Amino acid sequence: MTQTDTHVAQAAGTQVTEAPSRAKTLFSNQQFLLFLVWVLMVIGFSLINHIFFSVGVAENVLADWAPLVLIALGELVVIIGGGIDLSVGAIVGFSGVISAFTMKSLHGSGVSGPATLVVGIAVCVLVGLLVGLVNSLLINYAKLVPFIATLVTLGACSGLALVFTKGAPVMGGPPEAIKLAPAWLGPFSGPVLVVLLVVAVLWLFVHKARFGRYTFAIGSNSFAARAAGINVKRHIMRIYMLSGLLAGLAGFFFYIRLGSGAPTSGLGNELDAIAAVVIGGAALTGGVGRVSGTVLGALILTTVTSGLIISGVDPQWKRVVVAGLIAIAATLQALRKREGAAA
Amino acid sequence: MSEPGEILYEVRNLSKRYGAVVALDDVSMFVRAGEVVGLVGDNGAGKSTLVKCLSGAHQPSSGQVLLEGVERHWHSPHDAIEAGVETLYQDSGLAPHLSVSANVFLGREELKPGILGRMGFLAQKSMDTRAHEDLERVGIAVPASGRSVSQLSGGQRQAVAIGRAVAWASKVIILDEPTNHLGARQAREVLQVMRSAKQQGLGVIFISHTLPHVLEVTDRVVVLRLGRVVRDAPTSEFDAESLLGTITGLNAT
Ligand SMILES: Nc1ncnc2c1ncn2[C@@H]1O[C@H](COP(=O)(O)OP(=O)(O)OP(=O)(O)O)[C@@H](O)[C@H]1O
Ligand SMILES: [Mg+2]
Repeated sequence: MTQTDTHVAQAAGTQVTEAPSRAKTLFSNQQFLLFLVWVLMVIGFSLINHIFFSVGVAENVLADWAPLVLIALGELVVIIGGGIDLSVGAIVGFSGVISAFTMKSLHGSGVSGPATLVVGIAVCVLVGLLVGLVNSLLINYAKLVPFIATLVTLGACSGLALVFTKGAPVMGGPPEAIKLAPAWLGPFSGPVLVVLLVVAVLWLFVHKARFGRYTFAIGSNSFAARAAGINVKRHIMRIYMLSGLLAGLAGFFFYIRLGSGAPTSGLGNELDAIAAVVIGGAALTGGVGRVSGTVLGALILTTVTSGLIISGVDPQWKRVVVAGLIAIAATLQALRKREGAAA
Repeated sequence: MSEPGEILYEVRNLSKRYGAVVALDDVSMFVRAGEVVGLVGDNGAGKSTLVKCLSGAHQPSSGQVLLEGVERHWHSPHDAIEAGVETLYQDSGLAPHLSVSANVFLGREELKPGILGRMGFLAQKSMDTRAHEDLERVGIAVPASGRSVSQLSGGQRQAVAIGRAVAWASKVIILDEPTNHLGARQAREVLQVMRSAKQQGLGVIFISHTLPHVLEVTDRVVVLRLGRVVRDAPTSEFDAESLLGTITGLNAT
């Protein structure tokens, strides 16, 4: 047996030895590179304008980062599983609006502020779960490709949000919501802690648990996953419901920040989420991606946005810079893949 | 476990259509416990289609599937696996982005003990060790458990797929061209694997275009041509030439 082993190893010109040294993994590690990129960005923006390096700016960056990470992590899981979820931005607006209507009527009928807010969160999450369920039904049973299925729910949710509100933000929630808003900023504020908790839980479930194993397997080769006895349809349902849930939660974050349910609050967020995931090293072809990469990808995106504003650059440049970052990340990945194929 | 010689796994009058294409037409065949059956036929004869019906990956258009004499309806490969029918597919049986051990344990992950396990956390170390042992038992080109399958050679991948099927099969093992990508020597090891599976009382269905292998290792040969069974006879009744003739339909006998 050992003989055969060495024989094949020699024939293939490869080593059968185990993992490379720690230092080597650290430097070839894409997450570490991303972190370096982020540090360089912070240094660069601070040199352009020293105000960038301040608590106030950090708070702003984190306040933008928190909901983006939520959405992007859901997107990451979907993308690892070989799909794509275009509906997340629409879920943000739609869930925020439905939740705002609910809170308005509860508040109007004299329900206490905290209770109203709890119901508000629950409604956001439920709306997200429901839209995720619809996505998975369209994919599993109507046999739509994920791009089309989630484009359908994107249209339906953003359209309904506008129809229900006639385009105006929904106000009239409990005053406690407004009082929460300032506390919504700051590095150790509630939402950032909530997000850190979500990050930790997702890291465990994506990289250490069966949930993640099945997700990677389906994204890598869904025929093999099914042939191995995995209930692929049920897992796809879980993936899209998770993505919807996180987008719904982000919808509540936006409600608190804006003090109202705005139908357009999540407009275009799906693109930022996909950008964060791709910059974080995931492959749109499925089977590849890391939670830490997406967290850093989202941080880089929000840092760029704030940095451009503070540097006095027209913030409209943000899209262009993000597009450049995506191009670089995707190119690096294509090169790595080619190297892998050649080896 | 069935007695040796008893019919273990059987299909009766099985047909499978893909739209207008009739891939299988009224096929009946069986495998006994402790028997290796060769399934041969030209490209497109319907071998892989039959394999997929036997493994639950496809649903037959009509006909019966019987395991130990009981009619079964596989709604998905999961059902067949649970019943002890393990399959190596011709291609794409592995998830390339996953590690060797993740592939060996795919769908049957070992979980950590206690509450962590109930939450779905994986016992990765233990799976790595056990996967290595399973592959070593098969004895072909054992790659390190932690390596990603995408980095393996074609032969190593094939070894992982075979090891996986052998490790889990409890009744029937179906191998669709298992010696693909393998060197002469590794192919011999696969034949040996089939012999030992047979000795353990499993039913083995072996699909191959390498006729000398088929003649060497099987007890009986079923020949498919254009979706129909044209011959089902003990291997001793064939030699290389007559088997080839039966497959192509060009011999006069
Ligand atoms: N998914 C599919 N959709 C439509 N037709 C198919 C499908 N799979 C197989 N077929 C057709 O069914 C017939 C049998 O194919 P099958 O793959 O079973 O042949 P095979 O005997 O395994 O051939 P090979 O030796 O080349 O592997 C062929 O005509 C093929 O084109
Ligand atoms: Mg075939």
